[in-house]
Amino acid sequence: MRTRYLLGLLLCSHLATGQLVFPAEIDPPADYAPREVIMPASPFELQVLFVGGVDMVQTTGTYGNEPSQTHAKEWHDFIGFTPDTTGQSMGWVSVNHESIYRDDRIGDGGGMTVFRVDRGESGDLIILDQELEDGRNGKFFNVDFVNTVGETGMNCGGISSIVDGRIWTAEEWFRDDNSDINNGRFSNFNQFDPAPGAFPSAVGFDENSVGSPVNQGVRDIRPWAVQAPEFPFIHQDTIAKYQNFNWMVEIDPRQARAVRKQYNWGRQGFEGGVVSADNKYVYLGVDATPAFFLRFTAATPGDFTQGILEVYKHDAVGDTKWIPIDNDRAEAVLYLDSLSIAAGATMFNRNEWVAIDPKTGIVYWTETGRDHPGPRWRDEAEAGAVLAPHHVARARAQRDSLTAAGLPDTLTALTDDYWDYYGRILQYDPTTEQISVKIEGGPYFSESPSQANYPDKHLSNPDGLNVMTIAGEEWLVICEDLNGETFGRMPAENNRGGAGIRNRMCELYLLPIGKDSATVDDLVRITATPLGAEITGAQPTPDGKSLLVNSQHPSSDNPFPYNHSLTFAIHGFDELTTTSLELPDRDPNAVGLQVYPNPTLQTVFLNRTQDVALYGQSGQRLRVYRQVDEFDVSDLPAGVYYLQGVEGEVVKLIKQ
Amino acid sequence: MSVRSLRFLLFPTLFIFLGAQQPVRHPLYPPPAPTGQAGLDVALEATRHTFHEDLDSLLRASAAYRDAVAQRAPAERVREKHLATRRQFKYCEYLLEYLEPESVRRYLNGAPLPKTEPNVPEVVIVAPTGLQVLDELAYADDLDYAALGKHTQTLYTTLHRLVPYVRSIPLQHRHVFEASREEAIRIFTLGVTGFDTPGSVAALPEAEAALRRLADVYLRYAPYVAREEPATDQAIREALRVGLAQLPEADFATFDRMAFLRSTVDPLIAKLPRAQELLSVESAADDPRQARPVNARALSLFAEDFLNPAYYDRLSASPYGAERRRLGELLFFDPVLSGDRQLSCASCHQPELAFTDGKAKSVRRNAPTLINSVFAERYFYDLREAFLERQARHVVMDAHEFATDFGAIEERLRQQAAYRKLFAEAYADQPKYALSAWSISDALTHYVSGLRAFDSPVDRYVRGELSALEPGVRRGFNLFMGKAACGSCHFPPTFAGLVPPLYRESETEVLGVPYAPVWKGARVDPDPGRYASGRPEDEADFRAFSFKTPTVRNVLVTAPYMHNGVYTSLEEVLDFYNRGGGRGIGIELEHQTLPFDNLSLDKAEVADLIDFMEALTDYQALNRRPERPLRRSTE
Repeated sequence: MRTRYLLGLLLCSHLATGQLVFPAEIDPPADYAPREVIMPASPFELQVLFVGGVDMVQTTGTYGNEPSQTHAKEWHDFIGFTPDTTGQSMGWVSVNHESIYRDDRIGDGGGMTVFRVDRGESGDLIILDQELEDGRNGKFFNVDFVNTVGETGMNCGGISSIVDGRIWTAEEWFRDDNSDINNGRFSNFNQFDPAPGAFPSAVGFDENSVGSPVNQGVRDIRPWAVQAPEFPFIHQDTIAKYQNFNWMVEIDPRQARAVRKQYNWGRQGFEGGVVSADNKYVYLGVDATPAFFLRFTAATPGDFTQGILEVYKHDAVGDTKWIPIDNDRAEAVLYLDSLSIAAGATMFNRNEWVAIDPKTGIVYWTETGRDHPGPRWRDEAEAGAVLAPHHVARARAQRDSLTAAGLPDTLTALTDDYWDYYGRILQYDPTTEQISVKIEGGPYFSESPSQANYPDKHLSNPDGLNVMTIAGEEWLVICEDLNGETFGRMPAENNRGGAGIRNRMCELYLLPIGKDSATVDDLVRITATPLGAEITGAQPTPDGKSLLVNSQHPSSDNPFPYNHSLTFAIHGFDELTTTSLELPDRDPNAVGLQVYPNPTLQTVFLNRTQDVALYGQSGQRLRVYRQVDEFDVSDLPAGVYYLQGVEGEVVKLIKQ
Repeated sequence: MSVRSLRFLLFPTLFIFLGAQQPVRHPLYPPPAPTGQAGLDVALEATRHTFHEDLDSLLRASAAYRDAVAQRAPAERVREKHLATRRQFKYCEYLLEYLEPESVRRYLNGAPLPKTEPNVPEVVIVAPTGLQVLDELAYADDLDYAALGKHTQTLYTTLHRLVPYVRSIPLQHRHVFEASREEAIRIFTLGVTGFDTPGSVAALPEAEAALRRLADVYLRYAPYVAREEPATDQAIREALRVGLAQLPEADFATFDRMAFLRSTVDPLIAKLPRAQELLSVESAADDPRQARPVNARALSLFAEDFLNPAYYDRLSASPYGAERRRLGELLFFDPVLSGDRQLSCASCHQPELAFTDGKAKSVRRNAPTLINSVFAERYFYDLREAFLERQARHVVMDAHEFATDFGAIEERLRQQAAYRKLFAEAYADQPKYALSAWSISDALTHYVSGLRAFDSPVDRYVRGELSALEPGVRRGFNLFMGKAACGSCHFPPTFAGLVPPLYRESETEVLGVPYAPVWKGARVDPDPGRYASGRPEDEADFRAFSFKTPTVRNVLVTAPYMHNGVYTSLEEVLDFYNRGGGRGIGIELEHQTLPFDNLSLDKAEVADLIDFMEALTDYQALNRRPERPLRRSTE
């Protein structure tokens, strides 16, 4: 049978339009030596630092419990890094927990874990033992919010100041009432559980008690008396408990406790932010539709308790596009959106993480997108807020394509049918006060592109973002999220070389920051991450050697602990050269199958888009890749492989 | 080969039909076989051509449907256009679903129920649209032209965008085979049950359309399959022939779904992947990195390995699986896990009762069976937990269950030399975490994931291991999958809410289960269900009183029933459904998901249904406890 297939294969090798069936087995070449290419081992090494839900954190006395230890929370998201200026260690790592969950010792809601690291002689990071001022001893510490500024929830992004490593944590998912934080609307005696006595409670006991199985969130929902003498406009006010959520909160990673809720920056569904190099400005990203772009200006650099708050309006007339909004009245900071709308501010579609290039001062952020933002902008637009110009332009293009197809031309950015599937990265230049698109997500194809024009890469819903220096140059580190898969938004071909048509994954990309008018083809994919993981955090160490990342809901096929929420380090960035991240110089005129392995990217590049089959050493077919010009081999064990192209030639691939 | 000559070759193959009663003997079959590769190219090109024509026809049909509604055509004409559009959809369904499952679900043929928008930081309710919504609208007593107009317009504009994209996807051989097998499962589980035709009940003609297209496609590949292994080709053609002969004659109420399963669907499930392999066509299953829900090599919908537990349990691969499972079993039966050492997992999940406890409520709710419980997207009645491994954490921390935490449990286990040793052995590859919150949960997960059983008389009959089935059981199966509409929520093979054919999603339903077993003026049980799962995205009103659909396997021994254990007998349960659920006993819930008012099941039919469910009993092989609980010692 084998011979017949090989015969068929030879007979049909001239068929350019057909689809070659690769034999399930081949004989390893015996009588001739095929071309041999070597894929050196990856320069990257992974080191597990902190496993959520499994490693223990040292806790303070909380809810009447003694100081003790317990398992850390999970759902790792943001990572901050605070360099140690004493020279005794490298610094402190702060990790966000994006959850809203009860915990008797850590405290309800979300949370943060901090630990101190140093670079060991082997190059690995060592987690140091610490004794804190409050008496806690150990390696991992939960940040005490409960006994300081009050609980937090869904700690997603944050700020890791490029000036001095000050850390703020952000809470997405804007809270509208107490039921949102305690996850137990029914226990508030509402329509679903009208009155105790008249009809039995759902469970027959007090749902709000500590240890209750029903209430999975924040249990203490009594009104909150604000203690913030720095902010007299709200100090000693009593607010609803949920209103004490969704503030940026500064923490002290050295002592693992919260410092202050930043009441003067307003209450928003914050996701990220940056401090400018002069320690004067804070730029803030809000994960909402509409999202407004906010800036806080410190009266004295480094003192963020005094200063003004402004919102961006791209079409402002006058000297500046920043419109001041009140931040010295409780009702102003509690209902900040209404001030932004009244100011006619520019509306975005879910701003997420913010990053800053320390060299140029340019601020970058991910506008992650949502499928159909129109309905969520309409009321605000009517009340005076304005659409970001790139959305107006996109809507116009979408309308034009409808018109061209003879469909009704009613689409605008405010109608239900305007779509923004992929999101993008935006940039703000402080010298010109202009916002522009750094890189668009996608691309979207409504019509068949020619196969050769199909991009190998695809950027969908960028979320996490940072700036990292590699080989002397600056790169944006981009963490992808995936909002959906309808309408071919994730191309069927873009499926990691035909491995499985519906196994989309979130990618970790690098983009040269100096690249103007960048497209997805300029993205560099880092494959050194667990399969199927949503990577977040992406925080470089100050020595540039490692990238600290978090992994959420990775595939179970990874070995423990890579199948858990965890924080790990990717070491080896100091060994990279710029060329190691570049695509190979492919010879487009090369005949047959030419392969160019890149060990850094653990990717085999091909001379052109084609079908290729990968065989194991014994000639067993392992994988068929259709219409690819590169494929990822990061998961393949070291060994000997054979690649067969459509014209029958065989290349021996040795993976080290 | 030029495009023109390719067209010439494929042209005749477009007109292959299978005779209704005749064995396949078309004059063009077998066609002159070109060399293998060229022949396969022709088959693929012809399939692509047909698919593209079907897509274009679907677009045209949806335009005509929209126009008929816009002109306020009489009901018969609207329905005629509706059925024509649905039929056209069924011709492309196999590849459309395979290539664009999310678009089909959200815009073309998803369940007519609201959903929440995924991956956004607030609750946004997405109203349903598509052919299932239209199926209800088009068959209402009085047509709501405004609603029909809105949904037919959405359907048309959606297709207008989707069709060019789907046409642009370069079709591969493996797409054709994998989509066909998936469609065979869909035809049985969602098609002939009436799942997606709630109004028109055009289930069987539509199943025929879908199956006919699978036949057209397969016949193009048939000669090459036959050349490699005639028996496989024969089996596939026979399966298609029999199915296409049965469906046109059949009546929805009396269709023998068991016969259809055995003679058509199961052979396709078994043999299509075999044909794919014979042709050396690669498979999605070649990539070992990501487990898939459905095993590509399973030989039957009711095969023990049809569903792949590794996809669901998310356990990391290790050489110590057996040791971990044994350790998990010890822990499962050991009260050491509970704060006061009074409760073990087995207190509420007793193997003698198929891992239930016979109580109406163990704590808050009725203890569900753990057999086959691994096969779910999420766990608990309210779907609050996505990871089986984290399930134990809820029980451990619950003040009314184990009332402790993993820190204390770790400490206790560490003090027992026997456990120390077992953990050190079973987790030798993870010395740092050998006895940790993770390894304890992991061991329990290994045990629970291993509680699987697909060996009941029904399973064995479907697989051909039993030559006959009790007539009542057979009638009951056909009722369950047809008239009684049970199978449109309790999907085979788990007979729980795990939705075929992808088996990736667990459903919850709002039934209106009463607080007490009364049949008039009942009050709804106040447990809010999924609405209070603690997941912010579940805080949408339509999730109130919504509960995970449990399995009906082993119901013989798992009374009482429903999430609150309100019914003590299956007769009561069926009475409840027969009346249309809560609506029939005085509970008005806006979002009740039972689509029917009553089922008009007579006594004999109820008895048959119970016979069938009782024939789904298979727990004895798992009914055992560890011989001796681990001796407690402190050193």
